[in-house]
Amino acid sequence: MSEMKKIKNLKEFSTSADRFEGANLLCPGCAHSIIVREVLNATNDDMVLSASTGCLEVCTAVYPYTSWDASWIHIGFENSSTAIAGAETMYKALKKKGRLKQPERTPKFVSFAGDGASYDIGFQWISGCMERGHNIMHVVLDNEVYANTGGQRSSSTPIGSSATTSPEGRNSYGEKRNKKDMLSIMAAHGIPYAAQVAPNKWKDMVKKIQHGLAVDGPVFINAVSPCTTEWKFDPKDTMNIADLATDSLVFPLYEIIDGHELNITYRPKNVVPVEEYLAAQGRFKHLFKDEYKYLIKEWQERVDAKWAYLQRREEARV
Amino acid sequence: MAFDKMELKDIEVWDGNHAAAQALRQCQIDVVAAYPITPSTPIVEGYAKFLADGYVEGEFVMVESEHAAMSGCIGAAAAGGRVATATSSQGLALMSETLYQASGMRLPIVLNLVNRALASPLNVNGDHSDMYMVRDSGWIQLDAFSPQEAYDLNLIAFKVAEDHDVRLPAIVNQDGFMTSHTAQGVSPLSDDVAYGFVGEYKPMNDMLDFEHPVTHGVQTEEDWHFEHKARQHNDLMTKVLPKIQTAFDDFEKLTGRKYNLVEKYDMDDADICVVCMGSSVETAREVATEMRAKGIKAGVVGIRVLRPIPFFEIIDALKDVKAIAALDRSSPNGAAGMLFNELAGALFNTDTKALLSGYVYGLGGRDLTKKHLVDLYTELQANVDAGKVTTKLQQFIGVRGPKLAYL
Amino acid sequence: MTKKGWDEFEIGAMLRTFNGKIDDIAGTQQQDRDYSQSSSYTASVADWRLIKPIFNKDYCIDCQFCWVYCPDVSIISRDKKLIGVDMDHCKGCGICVEVCPTNPKSLLMFQEQSDEESEIANWPKKDEGEA
Repeated sequence: MSEMKKIKNLKEFSTSADRFEGANLLCPGCAHSIIVREVLNATNDDMVLSASTGCLEVCTAVYPYTSWDASWIHIGFENSSTAIAGAETMYKALKKKGRLKQPERTPKFVSFAGDGASYDIGFQWISGCMERGHNIMHVVLDNEVYANTGGQRSSSTPIGSSATTSPEGRNSYGEKRNKKDMLSIMAAHGIPYAAQVAPNKWKDMVKKIQHGLAVDGPVFINAVSPCTTEWKFDPKDTMNIADLATDSLVFPLYEIIDGHELNITYRPKNVVPVEEYLAAQGRFKHLFKDEYKYLIKEWQERVDAKWAYLQRREEARV
Repeated sequence: MAFDKMELKDIEVWDGNHAAAQALRQCQIDVVAAYPITPSTPIVEGYAKFLADGYVEGEFVMVESEHAAMSGCIGAAAAGGRVATATSSQGLALMSETLYQASGMRLPIVLNLVNRALASPLNVNGDHSDMYMVRDSGWIQLDAFSPQEAYDLNLIAFKVAEDHDVRLPAIVNQDGFMTSHTAQGVSPLSDDVAYGFVGEYKPMNDMLDFEHPVTHGVQTEEDWHFEHKARQHNDLMTKVLPKIQTAFDDFEKLTGRKYNLVEKYDMDDADICVVCMGSSVETAREVATEMRAKGIKAGVVGIRVLRPIPFFEIIDALKDVKAIAALDRSSPNGAAGMLFNELAGALFNTDTKALLSGYVYGLGGRDLTKKHLVDLYTELQANVDAGKVTTKLQQFIGVRGPKLAYL
Repeated sequence: MTKKGWDEFEIGAMLRTFNGKIDDIAGTQQQDRDYSQSSSYTASVADWRLIKPIFNKDYCIDCQFCWVYCPDVSIISRDKKLIGVDMDHCKGCGICVEVCPTNPKSLLMFQEQSDEESEIANWPKKDEGEA
């Protein structure tokens, strides 16, 4: 195995030579590229990458330009996981047959996809890849909405969010269903590593990505990706929103090893009320009407319950 | 080498599926990603078993759907190695999205398509609905009429598809059950000779070349898309048929078995002919010979290469006949049959005065009997004698109930 | 890039990031890479910007928050030091200013047409109100 890149602190991290380029077409302030940079910069190993159709894909490989400095493939909306699994399988075959051009290299195979491409349309493909034990990492850029097609709800969209297909209105508070717990489903495949990450916690991110790239077998990473366009906040506030997401525990940061061992990896010193997280985003604006305020209370209760559950799971060491 | 060669007899008794699986073994496929579906399953089971028994070195991935099978094949092919899979019918329908992506990315995957009807109603038997469904997907399509041909055409498919001037995926069709599950005598090549014919896989734009990173599967909009599609069509129209012809010629030198873009049988002096595909070609040949004994000059044209369509070879094969029957084994569902239209399109601007009529037959594995073909040839001769098509242009044959005829 | 005709590009709409061979991408900084015309590194999104960041090195502590949180690979750091902003790739989102912890900030947003020298000359003083 290759040597793990040493990243003691941010100064050391900043010596990384990026393998993702600017002048891509992502919105100003998009968290996707921050996450992609943190993932790619976590290792010096060669990378083979894939992306599902979505914001990241349509903004980074628009002919005649590519923003990728490593080999990259996009096939369709549902199959970035299987695309990279296919490439990883070919790597294994050629390694066995002695036909690799640079046999000394230790490439890592990483797939990127949005929540629509992961929680919904690509769900079966990802499940297949996790179950089959490919040596790949699937990273979800989770912005809780079909952003590339203009803001439709996905099964990652949380209750009360106004999406274009579950809009708030006189008779509706927006999305009615709770967000799917994809991380638990993926961990239930018994994969060696599943984790939730956030771009604002770069060190936690790098540690998890390095762990994920080092283990043998499939890895699932869910990365919260605040979306300036669909969550409706000022582009400069992307990291502030990410801070609220992690510090309100709406997006708790934790990992699940071998499908069962749960570790909480970030405990906010000052837990922020969920209300503050919601208030900072236009998609939840309507929840602050008197008739919908109960939803904010319910939301806080859900977050508290989930946090208590995660702590019990962690303490139980089961 | 970390795998054993297999000693084969001069003539083996193989069905079409086993013949295809043996060809995949001899081509030393690097990756097979596949999902089972009747009647194609034994092909990939065959590869898996050869792998388990140490007769081939590679990776077999049994995925969770046909869409994933082709997705995995695309990823593997883009990584840079020899890739194959097999499917039928609904499986092809599910993977059809990715067929366009494979050809658009110019990845030389070989797909064994064991032809089967499309639901609904569900049916596991052979017709050409699946073959027709993806005819515009940018894949080369070859058609085997027998197990021997299924074997031979697999070797030829890799040689053509992987050629750097071609770099297009290829489908090898064979009839579900009639070919895939019917054991016949097959003359295989030795492992070394077969591999020597196909040659080493030569990577191109491979993702595993870390010193030359590549981006595959880009977005192109109105300012670029048309040029890329035009390039692909141009290469299909100008480069592929000559390469197939060369491969056929090389194969004949090696084996004595001669293949043609359009397979003509008794066509030199034929007055009437049937144009068809799949195992029906052999039946039609037998009946044509019998018709000749009765004094009717009958011939058969089998379409060996459906895509790219051998337009000029079709014109040449049909230039002197007086009546032609286009046999389509797929319901056109509201149009003339595909072969009818292809032949009409090829002949329209020529000097031919041939009478063209279309027949839809054999859906869902319904037999095409010799009696059907005798009647059909008799009808064609009647057309010649009358100097016009005496029936409707489209007729269904072999279906119960009152006669169905249109156009 | 000029728009090529149908016979002038690589088959499969494949793009290469670099001209020729590159040995160790992760070990080669951008300025030392031979990018092809197909890399978006060679393109510019400067015309997206309405406001732009100006970097004042006098106050910078090289914490690298702006480097890690820049979505557009536009904060140029070399040898652990921030040396400037890549104005071809900066879209003017302002995240770098938000995450800058110094007082006064070492990066501030200004109108696109502002003059860097004079803005630095008039840089705000330390905000004594902050803890």
